[in-house]
Amino acid sequence: MNKKFDTVAGIAFLLIGILFFVESQKISDSAYGSSVGPKIFPMGLGIILTALSIRLLYETFKIKTEDTVKEKLQYKKFFIIFGSAILYAFLLEKIGYVVSTFLFLLIAFQTVERGKIIYSIIISTVFSVGVYYMFSELLGGSLPGFPLF
Amino acid sequence: MDTLQFLADGFAIAFQWHNLLFALVGVIIGTAVGVLPGIGPMSGVALLIPVTATMTSGMPTGAAAASSIILLAGVYYGAMYGGSTTSILLNTPGESSSVVTTLDGYQMAQQGRAGAALAISAIGSFVAGIISLIGLVLLAEPLSNVAIKFGPAEYFSLMLLGLAAVSGLAGKSMTKAIMMTVFGLMLGTIGIDAVSGIARFTYDQPILFSGLEFLTIAVGLFALGEVIKTILEKDEETGSIAKINRILPTKQDMKDSSVPIVRGSLLGFFIGVLPGAGATLASFFSYTTEKKFSKNPESFGKGNIAGVAGPESANNAASGGAMIPLLTLGIPGSGTTAILMGALIMYNIQPGPLLFDEHPEVAWGLIASMFIGNLMLLVLNMPLVRVFAKIIQTPKKYLLPMIIAISFFGVYAVQYTTFDLYLLLGCGVLGYLLSKNDFPVAPLVLALVLGPMIENNMRRALTISNGDFSIFVTKPLSLIFIVAAAAWLIVPLLLKLKGRKIIINEED
Repeated sequence: MNKKFDTVAGIAFLLIGILFFVESQKISDSAYGSSVGPKIFPMGLGIILTALSIRLLYETFKIKTEDTVKEKLQYKKFFIIFGSAILYAFLLEKIGYVVSTFLFLLIAFQTVERGKIIYSIIISTVFSVGVYYMFSELLGGSLPGFPLF
Repeated sequence: MDTLQFLADGFAIAFQWHNLLFALVGVIIGTAVGVLPGIGPMSGVALLIPVTATMTSGMPTGAAAASSIILLAGVYYGAMYGGSTTSILLNTPGESSSVVTTLDGYQMAQQGRAGAALAISAIGSFVAGIISLIGLVLLAEPLSNVAIKFGPAEYFSLMLLGLAAVSGLAGKSMTKAIMMTVFGLMLGTIGIDAVSGIARFTYDQPILFSGLEFLTIAVGLFALGEVIKTILEKDEETGSIAKINRILPTKQDMKDSSVPIVRGSLLGFFIGVLPGAGATLASFFSYTTEKKFSKNPESFGKGNIAGVAGPESANNAASGGAMIPLLTLGIPGSGTTAILMGALIMYNIQPGPLLFDEHPEVAWGLIASMFIGNLMLLVLNMPLVRVFAKIIQTPKKYLLPMIIAISFFGVYAVQYTTFDLYLLLGCGVLGYLLSKNDFPVAPLVLALVLGPMIENNMRRALTISNGDFSIFVTKPLSLIFIVAAAAWLIVPLLLKLKGRKIIINEED
């Protein structure tokens, strides 16, 4: 169990719970022909989550600090792939499905493991073109295929 | 007999050529999903929802729903088959329900009996699939006849029971599990309220009016979360694959495993019917039961074939049993069935007692297709087990980015907004962080699916009672459900206080 994460998560969920409760008060209470409006359920959830978060924080503080085993995480790879995924989402509608998917796959393949660039290019091409044609030609779906210049 | 007539109609649907194809594709993908460590049945099913949605887009709603649920359910029980393959050959379970299979399965492989172990687990899974289907056929009608008499108060309490069961058994900390459930319910309230038409928590963002799409969140939390985990954490070296010499089990193997298979199937089925207790729990229970009944319990863990046959039958039977609460009551009992339910709702088909009346083609078509699917799995798995074992060697390099690309495609093809892609990525990170720190994500998804229904039933019940909350405890059935829900949460706590170890249900 990671004490630090639990504390942060506990506080975060506590804030979400309170926020949910406060914001639910703004929901109009009118309910046609019913005594129970759209407000009650979210309000109740806010209260329960707040209570549970306090309980989690209490549980977390009770645990004595244990020495955490430091894991080596591959942050660099993750951030490159995640960054390119965000870029992929951003560019998908702008430069089209085929090009953006090809670029994303190529970058991601090479990030996970360097080398064999020819294979990477072939697989990226087959995947992006293949999915696009399968989907929009054979199945009649719609995807932004190519750049709209 | 009405049931037989319905079942015959179901077979007529399942034998349509495209549904046969869907079942075949489903079980093949399911086996692959089961074999690949890292992708569990939950992410497999979630990833395929958008694909099936587009594949069936030209059909009328009922038929489209039947076809896609046939495929998705195929992935679910196919994964139970596939999971055993890696447990036996590599000592790494493909998903959590095959963990116990490693104990004896890998030992058998070491002794050169890998083929027999694989074959027995395939046969056991097949028998279990059939037994659980018979149970499903027998129980479906009576249960849905009872459930049809439920009013909103009973439904509310029953769903509460479902949520309590899943939260009570998921993960190490119950506080965290309930927090996740409540958080899921909260996410479900975002959007325009179905009863009053009032926008809640949308802050005038048109994109939020229809609520957060369940599919995006499920794919993000499960599939993407697992991909991120694999990218971040250096994967352990995969061992060498055991050789498969002879596939057919000997007569002695068959004799030794026939009783465990039947026992495991029955046990697994009943555990599967219980909400919250899924395939993982079923396989654990079956293993301990077999050990108890065995004449020489010390041989367990050293390659006893009963230790493979029992659990493998149990986890498959559990996946069949889990269909019962989903189809008849409309209450999913596990993460994967919650996703299946979300898929049905996407087609505007509400699982529950009315399903058998309103959409018999979906309910009975699915049941019949599971018979066929199980047969396909048996036929496929015996000769092709070597091929499936090869899938493990798919380089991670290509697999991981492709899963991201498939989830992007899936989400975008259904939603057509980049907002959902960002939401997907956000959920991926969230899913990784949460499940890494023992916050189970399955209850979140379940709550997200059930949330709007719980709220509507609660409000309908309260409208009937004029705002009096006692309606939930004065109606006898509703009271029973509420007491059961409370027991589900309190009993494990009491056991913990007594210092007893409780088996928890990991993702399944």
